Amino acid sequence: MDRVIGERIPRIDGPLKVTGEATYTTDISLPGMLFARILRSPHPHAKIIRVDVARAAKIPGVKAIITGKDAWGVRHGFVETPRYPADQYVLANDRVRYVGEEVAAVAAVDDDTALEALDRIDVEYEELPAVFDLFEAMSEGPEIHPVQLPDLAEPYKNIAGRCANSFGDVESAFKHAHLVRKDRFETQLRTHGYLEPQATVAHYDTTGSLHVWTSGMGVFRKRMHLSTALGIPDSRVHVHKAWVGGAFGGKIDLFSHEFCTSLLSMKTGRPVRFVAEREEIFSYFRHGQPMVVDLETAMDKKGTLLGQKVRCYNNCGAYRGSGAVCVFLCWGFIVLPYRIPALDYIGYSVYTNNPVRAPQRGHGAPQIRYAVESQLDMLAEELGIDPVEIRLRNARQKGEILPNSDPIGNAGLMECIQKAAERTDFCEKYEKNRSRQTDDSVLKQGIGMGVSSYFTGTLIYPNNSAAIVKLNDDGTAHLLTGALDTGQGAETILTQIVGQELGLKVEDIRVVAADTETTPVDIGSWISGLTYVTGNAVKKAAEEARGLLLLSAAKELEANPADLEIRDRRIFVKGTDKSISSAQAIARHIRENQGDPIIGRGSFRGLKDAAIGPSLKNAKGAWSDSYAFDVQVAEVEVDTRTGKITVKRALTAHDCGFPINPLLIEGQIDGQVSMAKGHATSEEVIMKNGMTLNPSFLDYPMPIATEMVENEYLHITTEEYETHKEFVTKEVGEGLVSGVLAAIANAVANATGIHLTKLPLNLERDLDKTDEGTGS
Amino acid sequence: MRNKPITLNVNGEEHTLMVDHRDTLLHVLRDKLHLTGAKEACGTGECGACTVLIDGKALLSCLILAVEVQDKKITTIEGLAAGGRLTPLQKAFVEYGAVQCGFCSPGMILTATALLMENPSPSRKEIQKALEGNLCRCTGYNKIIEAIESVRDKRNG
Repeated sequence: MDRVIGERIPRIDGPLKVTGEATYTTDISLPGMLFARILRSPHPHAKIIRVDVARAAKIPGVKAIITGKDAWGVRHGFVETPRYPADQYVLANDRVRYVGEEVAAVAAVDDDTALEALDRIDVEYEELPAVFDLFEAMSEGPEIHPVQLPDLAEPYKNIAGRCANSFGDVESAFKHAHLVRKDRFETQLRTHGYLEPQATVAHYDTTGSLHVWTSGMGVFRKRMHLSTALGIPDSRVHVHKAWVGGAFGGKIDLFSHEFCTSLLSMKTGRPVRFVAEREEIFSYFRHGQPMVVDLETAMDKKGTLLGQKVRCYNNCGAYRGSGAVCVFLCWGFIVLPYRIPALDYIGYSVYTNNPVRAPQRGHGAPQIRYAVESQLDMLAEELGIDPVEIRLRNARQKGEILPNSDPIGNAGLMECIQKAAERTDFCEKYEKNRSRQTDDSVLKQGIGMGVSSYFTGTLIYPNNSAAIVKLNDDGTAHLLTGALDTGQGAETILTQIVGQELGLKVEDIRVVAADTETTPVDIGSWISGLTYVTGNAVKKAAEEARGLLLLSAAKELEANPADLEIRDRRIFVKGTDKSISSAQAIARHIRENQGDPIIGRGSFRGLKDAAIGPSLKNAKGAWSDSYAFDVQVAEVEVDTRTGKITVKRALTAHDCGFPINPLLIEGQIDGQVSMAKGHATSEEVIMKNGMTLNPSFLDYPMPIATEMVENEYLHITTEEYETHKEFVTKEVGEGLVSGVLAAIANAVANATGIHLTKLPLNLERDLDKTDEGTGS
Repeated sequence: MRNKPITLNVNGEEHTLMVDHRDTLLHVLRDKLHLTGAKEACGTGECGACTVLIDGKALLSCLILAVEVQDKKITTIEGLAAGGRLTPLQKAFVEYGAVQCGFCSPGMILTATALLMENPSPSRKEIQKALEGNLCRCTGYNKIIEAIESVRDKRNG
């Protein structure tokens, strides 16, 4: 049997997507469907004195209007723990805290009528002082939420989250250091840029079941949130599959429109659809997490890291969103790739009167890796050693243990650095570019390296995945999985795993996915653990089916099951022509087992010794079963007349365990390189007083086809896929966005001699400023 | 009366239907003819997801009023694969990994179809230029461009 695993197999949903057959939430239209619109706050901070819907309700065609009164006290949050209770309202109650906060929602017979109704809802506000800058919010700003962290040691206000962790003798590290640098790095507010707008269709039927289609990143988490917010049991919320037109972290937990669309359907008994306008998404929906990083590093004269002091400040907006998680993750992404003997880390997430922020591909990694990798190059320059050497000196090696006691296993970081450097002639180009920084040339060339590392799933609801593999009478199979394919190719790689185990071609397997009623639970497409967690669940289910199939065949063939193999829907005694069809073996199993067709089931949960995920308060506790390591090299050209930065090519050397589908992995890399290029050079959501000033694709320049970056890939394989054994894959879909971001910044520095400490990199803005650090 | 009857020729079929004079072609295709392959990602002509062919030219259906295109031949993504057989471009998009979330794919494929009809052997730069108005956030464009080049090379080889 040819291998199905490890092959460049085109995605199985390709034909549906190139013909327009694939149905996305925005494409769903049900008979009698109503159209929903949401009324939003025009103020960044105000008391709601009165909401009067009487005039709106009189408009013919308006079928239902809901306000905060319909959901008084209903709150939700990305995190919902005793330390970080849910703080966000599904509809504003007596106060609004950002421009765009949801105040009321309308369902009407058509969109025009719904819009007209919004105009006729009268809301009386009493404006309150607002604060937008995070440092102002920490010191003198108005209090945005009455409850603050009870154990906050510092006299700061508006702290939504705090993560502190330290180890080693930091004071001694800095005292005995040969070199100390302290720099501040700032990353901007960036948006996900998913093409499919946020959208939800809900239908509450006469049996009391709520059917929901929503553009999300995992159906089981959506079900949990909807059932909690609406006060109906899980079993009455049926989240259906719809293809997802991109998400990148921006569609994970509950959104107000999902609640409102559902409640409007419950009020009217009719299907309701909400589709966000692009301007709404840019202005009011959740973007990524902007971050200020104060990074102080102590180093010996050979370039060995002795210790670091890190303060991260995250402006999380008016509700906690994922802010408290992001400042934990920044800790994680600083301790992962390099050995740091002593660390003093505190991360703060700070409330301001800005829209709420969400995870965004890499979630903390781009922010912290940009800072660390930039400063590492600055330190290397001061010490007169090259970027490769300083990275090799500090890179974690196979078998090391992280500060939280997680082992990093067969980490391929050293190999990634060495191979990436060799392949790109890094040192030679780096020196040559440096020597040309000050010559007369107008176009400068730069090469830069960035290192990153990422976790492979952790424990957060729903924690686990399960799967069912059903064999059909003809020997083909169906896979039932809760996995939602957001474009990364989840259905394809899971199908490959079934094919590998059952000796089937990909086209002989059909997938039923992402349906809370018919498919088993799934961890979701957002915690970087799908291939590992769901993949192992699917593997076990397929193995169980295989075992039963071989047992039945063994009787027919009068052989030992261990001596059998499956090829193309036939079961052979290894090394002979003796065989029967899978169909015969299945029929025999049904006959001999009281009608039991062969159904395999499997389940998987990572971190088997941990009850919960790591502490967001102090970063203690197990975090993940495996970690990916990556090295990226970017080459840029800088036009010194205009400051224009062109990213010409990038190389990615990555350890993802073993590549199940190199074609799809390359696609993930391409997407991340492009996204990082945008983050590095052009993208920023510009806000003033809580208002978004550039709410369109024209004014928020994401990379276009003419700006494609040429990519090269080095797959460093450190694990194997074996029968009857859990496999270890490592993350590949989001961490890579951070290494290349750092690599681009370092390449620009290599071209110009200027280390820009603020993103997006803007040479025009910062041309007069050189290195802002306080290197000693 | 804002509503008026019009006849549209879409994918070789004539449709007579009532439209509001303000209705965009995209709205009529999606909500009245249920041809949802053309996507709305911005509604303001900035992303290319709603691209359709009008008399063989790739145009943005969100910027065109339905009443304007009565005497034209409109082709949507649903009209490309005759009898369920994918065109070489559609096949190449699948084989080369040019599709991820797929939301931009119909617009991309129609833009590339129009390009290859007009210029059977475009250079890489010409391909990139032609796709300039079609945003893709998933693929970085690499495999989309490879897929189009593969069709170009097969035709010319």
